[in-house]
Amino acid sequence: MFKRPPPLIAPNAPRGRSLFVSSLRVEPFPGYRIKSVFEPPPLPKLDNETWWGIGPPNDDWKTKLLIFPLNITVPSEILEYLKWRLDTHRPLTPPLEGMAHQYGMNTKLLQEVIDYWKTEYNWTERELFLNQYPQYKLNIQGLHIHVVHKNSFEDGYKVVPILLLHGWPGSVREFYELIPYLTKPQEGRKIIFEVIAPYLPGNPNNLVLRILSSGGQAGPGGGPDGRPLQEPHGQARLRQVLCARGDFGAVILHHMAVLYPESILGFHSNMCVVHTPRAFLLNLLGTVFPSLNVRPDHHDRLYPLSEYFQRMLRETGYLHLQATKPDTIGVAMNDSPIGIAAYFLEKFITGTNRTWQLREDGGLKEAFSYRDLIDNIMIHWVTQSATTAFRLYAETFNKAHHGLGIMRKALFVVVWSRPSHPVRVPTACARFKYDFYASDAALRELYPNLLQLTDHEGGHFAAFQLPELFANDLYDAVEKFEEYHKNNVKTE
Amino acid sequence: MGKGILIAVVVAALSAVTYLKLVRPILEVPPVPKLGDTWWGAGDPTKEDTKIHPFKINVSDEILKDLQQRLANALPFQEPLENAKQHYGINTKHLKNIVNFWRTKYNWREREKFLNQYPQFTVSVQGLKIHYLHIKPKETKGLKVLPLLILHGWPGSIREFYEMIPFLTTPQKGRNVVFEVIVPSLPGYGFSDAAVRPGLGAVEMAVVFKNFMSRIGYEKYYTQGGDWGSIIVQHMATLFPEKIKGTHSNMCFVNTPLANVKEFIGSIYPPLVIEKENELAAYPLSNKFYYLMLEMGYMHLQATKPDTVGVALRDSPVGLAAYLLEKFSTWTNPEWKSLDDGGLTKKISLTNLLDNVMIYWVTRSITTSMRLYSESFNIAQMNLKVDRIPIEVPSGCARFTKELAFPLEWVLKDKYKNLIHLTDLEGGHFAAFEEPKLLAEDIYVFAEKVENPKKTD
Repeated sequence: MFKRPPPLIAPNAPRGRSLFVSSLRVEPFPGYRIKSVFEPPPLPKLDNETWWGIGPPNDDWKTKLLIFPLNITVPSEILEYLKWRLDTHRPLTPPLEGMAHQYGMNTKLLQEVIDYWKTEYNWTERELFLNQYPQYKLNIQGLHIHVVHKNSFEDGYKVVPILLLHGWPGSVREFYELIPYLTKPQEGRKIIFEVIAPYLPGNPNNLVLRILSSGGQAGPGGGPDGRPLQEPHGQARLRQVLCARGDFGAVILHHMAVLYPESILGFHSNMCVVHTPRAFLLNLLGTVFPSLNVRPDHHDRLYPLSEYFQRMLRETGYLHLQATKPDTIGVAMNDSPIGIAAYFLEKFITGTNRTWQLREDGGLKEAFSYRDLIDNIMIHWVTQSATTAFRLYAETFNKAHHGLGIMRKALFVVVWSRPSHPVRVPTACARFKYDFYASDAALRELYPNLLQLTDHEGGHFAAFQLPELFANDLYDAVEKFEEYHKNNVKTE
Repeated sequence: MGKGILIAVVVAALSAVTYLKLVRPILEVPPVPKLGDTWWGAGDPTKEDTKIHPFKINVSDEILKDLQQRLANALPFQEPLENAKQHYGINTKHLKNIVNFWRTKYNWREREKFLNQYPQFTVSVQGLKIHYLHIKPKETKGLKVLPLLILHGWPGSIREFYEMIPFLTTPQKGRNVVFEVIVPSLPGYGFSDAAVRPGLGAVEMAVVFKNFMSRIGYEKYYTQGGDWGSIIVQHMATLFPEKIKGTHSNMCFVNTPLANVKEFIGSIYPPLVIEKENELAAYPLSNKFYYLMLEMGYMHLQATKPDTVGVALRDSPVGLAAYLLEKFSTWTNPEWKSLDDGGLTKKISLTNLLDNVMIYWVTRSITTSMRLYSESFNIAQMNLKVDRIPIEVPSGCARFTKELAFPLEWVLKDKYKNLIHLTDLEGGHFAAFEEPKLLAEDIYVFAEKVENPKKTD
C-alpha cells in the first residue's frame, strides 16, 4: 500500500489559553529554553516513499525508473489561442500621473513588451533554441520531472556532475546562456561540467496542454522537494553531485545538503540567506555596532533596518498571497497571458535592480532582452503552470511545514521562513548586490564550511543576467571544493 | 536613608521618561488635519460641470460579446489538490460550475433592468464623476425623513444594498422615521471615475464625499458603511462632525496603538473585556493573528502592487470571479473554507454574486479599485493620524460575529466617544448583502436613538 502525505492543513487549534497567559507559564529552566531557540531543531525523518502523483501508483514504481527523451513541441492550437488572447486584450489601465513602477507594473512599459510579443517574437525559432540541449522526462514518486541534461566529454578534463535548480518566477531557461560556459572547455580550467537542470515539480513540467500535471496531492514543498530530486541521481548512477542556484532552488538545495550530505560534493548558491534567531539578533546589534555584523561597504544593504523592513514589506505581497491562496490568484494568471507577463516582469525589474522601479522603462533592457524574458513567460504559459508554481509557496510556508522542524519561523515575520540547519558540505556563496542579503557574520552560522564568498554587481536572476561571470564563480568554487575533497580523502 | 532617596529619584526619573516616551505618544490626540479640495480628475478645474445628470446602466453589446467569448474559451482550470476544499484558495472544481452558470444562465440584460430599478445620477466632484443611487421614500406621512449616505467597500459595490434599500425607504411597522438613501460608487469603483493622480486614499475620499453630499444638497445627514465604507464614514465623522447627524457601521474599526495594547491586556483574562458568547470571536490572540495572516495576502499585494495584479484581473473574467468570490465565501463564514463549494450560495444567490462581479468587469475597474489600498496604507496617509482622533458624533456599531475582526467595547469607546448603540448580530462581512432586513432594522434602531435621545438608558 502506498503512503499518502500527511495532511498539511493544521487542524483547528483547540480552545486553549490565550497568548499572554501561556507566556506567563513558569519555566523551570529559563536558561535552557532561551538556548534552545538558537539551536536548530532535530532533523525530521522524511519518507522517501510518498506518492505525489494522481491515482494509484504502478506496482514497480519504487524499483523501476522510467526515462523518456523528449523535445518541446507546442501544438499550434495553443499558439493560435495565445495570439487571439494577445490580439484581443482589453486596453490597459494607465498608470497614475507621474508614476513609474511605484504601484506595480507600469502599463506603458507592458504595452511595449506586449507589442514585441505580438509582432516580433517567434516561438518556432525559440522552440528550436530551447531544444538545443537534450531533454528527458523522468518519473519520480509519481511526478513527471522534465530535465535538461547536457553532458560533456573532453579529453583531459575532469567531468563534474552539477545539479542546477531554478526558482520562481524562473525556469531552466535562465541557465541556457550559462550552460555553454559549463560544458565547453574554458581556458585555464581543468574541470568541465555535466549539467542536470530539472524543472521543479509544479513549475513548468508538462509540455503538452492538458496532460495530467504532477502533484495531485498536497505537497511537495520546499522541504520534501529535495527528496524526489534525489532519485534520478541515485538511479543514474550519479552518487555525488554539486548543486547551484538561487531563489527556491537555493532553498531546496540547502535542504538536500542538510538531509543527504553524503550525496552532495559541494553547494553553490547565489542566494545564501540566513533568517535564524541569531542572525536576526546580529542584525539588531548591527544597528548600534555595525562592525559586528556587516562590512563597511555593505552597510547600506541592511541599514537602516527600518528601511530594510519597509522594503521587504513592499516587495513581499506576492509571497503572502501565493503562500495563502495560490489557487485563487492562479486562475487569473493561467487565464491571461498579459497578466502573467505583467506579474513576472515586475519581478525581473525589482529583483534585478530595485532602483529601476523609478524608471518608466523599468531598466529591463539593460540586463535582458524582451525575447529572453518572454521565453521564460511562454514556458509558464504554454504549460499553464502558474497555479502549481504558486503552490510551492503555500507548501513551504505553512504550519505543517514548520511543524516538520526543518523551517523555522523567523521572529516577527511568520510567513517568511528560511532553512535553519547548518550545511556541513563545502559551500560557496555568491552575493549579488541587489539580491537578498546575508551578512558575513550570519553566513558563518549556517554555512560553517564556507570555502568561497564573493560579491558581485548584479541582481536576483544572476545566472540569467550575467552567465559568464556566474560560470567563472562556479568554476572557482568547484576548484576549491575539489581541493577540499582531495585533502579530506581520509574522512570520506 | 540617602540610598532610599537615590532609589526614589531614579524610579521617578525612569517613570517620567517612560511616560514621556512610551505612554504619552500612545495616548496623545493629534489635531484634526485641514485638507484641501484636491482636483483628482483629468479635466480643467475651472470648467467643472456641477450639474446632476440622470444615469442608466447600459453596457454595450461589444463588451457582452467579448465576455461571452472569454468565458467560452477559458482554458481548463488547474485541478485542486486532494481534499484541498478552499484552503489553497478558491476550489476550481466549484469555479467551473460558477463559470458555466455565468456563461449559460446568467442574463445581463435582465440584471441591467434589475440594477436600473432605482433612480441613478452622476455628478462631478473635485474632477471625478461620481455615480450614485438616490432613492426617496414614496410614503412619508407621519414619518420623519432622514437622509442616509451608505458607502460600500472592496470587493463590494452598490449592488450589496439593493435588497436592503426597500426596508430603509418604505415605512416599517412601529417606526417613526424613514430614510432617503444615497448610495454612491467609490471613486475608482463601478461607474464612478477614478483619480488620475496619486493620493486618493480613504481620508481624501472622506473629503470627496463631504463635497459630494453638499453638491447634491445635503448639509446634515446620517452615514452608514462597511469595509472601506466604514473607514471612510469614520473619517467623515472625524473631519466634518458638523455634517454628520449620526454614523452607523457594521465594521467599526479602531486602529490606534492604545487599541492594540488594550486587546493584549484583555488577553490576560478575556471575560473582563468581552462577553462569554463572543470570546472566541476575539481571543485567543494567536488564533486571530494566524487567521489574519492567512487572509491578508490580497491586502498585502494590493497595498503594494495593485497595478501588477490588476492586469490579469482586468483581462480574465474567470480570474476576476475567482479572486472576488473567494472573499464572499471566506468572509461570510471562515468555517466555509472546509466546504467543497465554499458555502458560496448559502446566503447570497449566485446571480446576485455575479451582479457584483459584473460591475467590476464591465467597468474594468478592478485595478483602480485596488489602488485604494496602496493609497491608504502609506506613510503620507498614516501621518495624518486621523485614526487617533476620537469621534464625538452619535455612533452606532453592529458587530457581526463572523466579521474579520471583532472589536472590544472597551476599545470602541476610546474612538467612538458617543457610542449610543452597540449590537451583536449573527452574520459575516457583507452584512447588507447577507442580512438586509437585520442590518436595516439595526439602522432604524440606531437612528431612532439619535432622533429621540432618552435621558436615561
